Amino acid sequence: MKEFTAVLRNEMLKTIRRPRTFIGFGVITFICLMLQGAFYQDGKEILSTVTGQFENVFTIQGHILNGNLICYILLQTLIVQMPLLVAFVTGDLISGETASGTIRFLLTTPASRGKIVVAKWLSGLIYTFLLLVVLGIFALIISRAIFGVGDLMAMNSEGLTIIRADDINWRWGCAFLIAFLSLGVVASLGTMLSCMMDNSITPIVTIMAVIIIFTIIGLFDMPTFEMIKPFLFTTHMISWRSLFEEPLPAKTILSSCVILFFHIVAFLSISIYYFKRKDITT
Amino acid sequence: MKNIFLILLSFISFHACAIDDPKTLIRELNKKFNMVSDYTAHVDMKFDIPGVKMNRMSGKVFFKQPDRFRIRTKGIFFLPKQNPMQNMSAMLLDTNSYTSIISGYETVGGHNCAIVNIIPLKNISELILGKFWIDVKNPLVMKTQITTKNNGTIETENIFTSTSHYTLPDEIVIKIETKKIKMSKLMSADLNKKAQDKSKTDALETGTIRLIFSNYKINTKFSDNEFTAADN
Amino acid sequence: MSSAILLENVTKKFKDFTAVDDLSFEVKAGDIYGFLGPNGSGKSTTLRMIMSLIKPDSGAVQLFGQSLRDNRHTIMKKIGCIIEKPDFYSYLSAKENISLFASVHQLNYTKKQYEELFELVGLKGREHDKVKNYSHGMKQRLGLAQTLIHDPELIILDEPNTGLDPQGILDLRHLILSLNKERGKTILFSSHILSEVQAICTNMIVINKGKTVVQGRVDDLLSQENLTVKLEVVDPMACNEKLQDTKWMALLESREEKLFVFKMGKTEIPGMIDYLTVNKIAIERIDYRNQLEDYFLKITHN
Repeated sequence: MKEFTAVLRNEMLKTIRRPRTFIGFGVITFICLMLQGAFYQDGKEILSTVTGQFENVFTIQGHILNGNLICYILLQTLIVQMPLLVAFVTGDLISGETASGTIRFLLTTPASRGKIVVAKWLSGLIYTFLLLVVLGIFALIISRAIFGVGDLMAMNSEGLTIIRADDINWRWGCAFLIAFLSLGVVASLGTMLSCMMDNSITPIVTIMAVIIIFTIIGLFDMPTFEMIKPFLFTTHMISWRSLFEEPLPAKTILSSCVILFFHIVAFLSISIYYFKRKDITT
Repeated sequence: MKNIFLILLSFISFHACAIDDPKTLIRELNKKFNMVSDYTAHVDMKFDIPGVKMNRMSGKVFFKQPDRFRIRTKGIFFLPKQNPMQNMSAMLLDTNSYTSIISGYETVGGHNCAIVNIIPLKNISELILGKFWIDVKNPLVMKTQITTKNNGTIETENIFTSTSHYTLPDEIVIKIETKKIKMSKLMSADLNKKAQDKSKTDALETGTIRLIFSNYKINTKFSDNEFTAADN
Repeated sequence: MSSAILLENVTKKFKDFTAVDDLSFEVKAGDIYGFLGPNGSGKSTTLRMIMSLIKPDSGAVQLFGQSLRDNRHTIMKKIGCIIEKPDFYSYLSAKENISLFASVHQLNYTKKQYEELFELVGLKGREHDKVKNYSHGMKQRLGLAQTLIHDPELIILDEPNTGLDPQGILDLRHLILSLNKERGKTILFSSHILSEVQAICTNMIVINKGKTVVQGRVDDLLSQENLTVKLEVVDPMACNEKLQDTKWMALLESREEKLFVFKMGKTEIPGMIDYLTVNKIAIERIDYRNQLEDYFLKITHN
């Protein structure tokens, strides 16, 4: 256990000291501040694109443009970008070391390959978690500080759902947990591809391609796509949104979490299996 | 013979009490409206709007004559753009702006009502036609159907119990025809849901908002700040 | 003497290419072994199999009498190595790189110990520099520090002279010799420079095309008693005639036109030249090589 802790600590140190790690934090901070600024300036106009379709009939009373709505929009926007940021780091975890030759340095220590790949995967998960913490701070806490707290007007394909402010904190907690699970799948996929490839660009590009293709399949309601959608992890990655539906589709959320969890287990198992057998020839 | 006389007497007395002239009816109604210069009340709201899911919520209503109205709550809620609680008394009180006729009689909630049509005299008015089901015995608006140029037709049903002599309902059911609120899949980025059938979203559906009032406080002369202060 | 490394019939293929072909050799504990072979001979693949970087397709790798497959953790604690070239995390300092390695070995090095280590490899004063600012030679020295940090019993050095300046090569030679003599370390030293191996190794293993070509003690392999002597004469017929019935005829291994190849001790050569000169046999060229040079040149020539 001591040895594993040392390997994990080393992996964290490497992650923290690598310049590319901070690109993710910088991108999240920048996007959050940029969108918060845009909403502060033009939020009502932006919202009117949603409310416009019923404003002849209804007026919406209350504080719509609040921190919860901004967080919802930010999370919805960033859930597309964050896998790329996670892939940028996790896709390089092992392949980067293979490409630079430091993998030999790593694998000639007493630590087993299993321990090394799990430590690397865990460091990827910790990085992912920290990304979400930064997102939580900027998207939720700072948005609430700027725009105030209020009921959330959640937009989904079936219309609008109003979630009361006093019923929302637990939903955000669970939403960030599901987002962590979703990004955990990306981190695990990154680790797996990173084990299989000897350069750091290919795994990152592959993850991006997979996410883009799966997302496009998810956007089109074609019978062929409908059959494969339930098996695509991207379909379940956005299940955090279901937490902002009424009534709460608990079964759907739970099944998505289970599917995401099994993706993580599968990707990690393949990573360990493959890495244990991999010949280091670089 | 005695019985026939009694029946005849009761029939005559009924018609003596009932009002069948629209102007008289409105005048009697306006007298009641004028008795209330302001009121506050607790309100519970239930919403059934196509394409909008929201839980019931409660708040506090503030009203001052002629048309200052506000519901103060902690959250978001929907009200019809043509708010009957805000506009009805103002609409009826301005008797020079419209002409009224009784188009028939109908029983609403056990009350015998005259259907009073309000037709604006000026073309610039937003109102096209207002139909008011007014209790002929105790002038109260039991039901309305207001058609405006921009906001379509809105129906309300009012239920009175405790405060009927003030024209303040205990419950209002607002029915409004609207298209189902829809969100494009790209906008909602909702990958795990199928897009709605467009024909369904384009069809008109009836939305209902039910407001249940309690704890009326009438003519308390509350501060105007209540209409401008931020929600709690 | 116990065995530090024992390879038995080890084979490794990469698709259709056989990198190591039924290779067997033994490295005895306490000696310095030179591991020689031309480029592409399978040296690096063999060393990687010993360091468990590559899995053999067949055969057994044993270190310190234990199977590497079953006792990797125990074995790796006793080995220090530089494989191919020392690569480090360029964004970390030299000391940080070494401390990563130390932490996995559960070592709690003091500041003084780090200073001593960096002094030993000639990097004192540069330990806080980022590795990205290091020259190749400095990285080699840092590689040595990483190799030695956990005081291993067996040190495997894959071409450690690469990139070192002449003083660095000399320092490394002294370091290897002192590690062996003063601390009793077993060292396996790979190179394709024969002279360097000859200078410091007690034993040698030469491989080519994944197979062992020759192995044994350097003293034996470099012996002057069994040299390959190549004699080239102007008149081979006359030479052959004169050599008949002499003791040198028995030492003749092969003959091809003007070239006569003998196996003989170094002391025999002057006598044979005198005899041929006296008998008016014109010698065009004569050279001799010891057994190891002979093998190595054959390999590299091919």
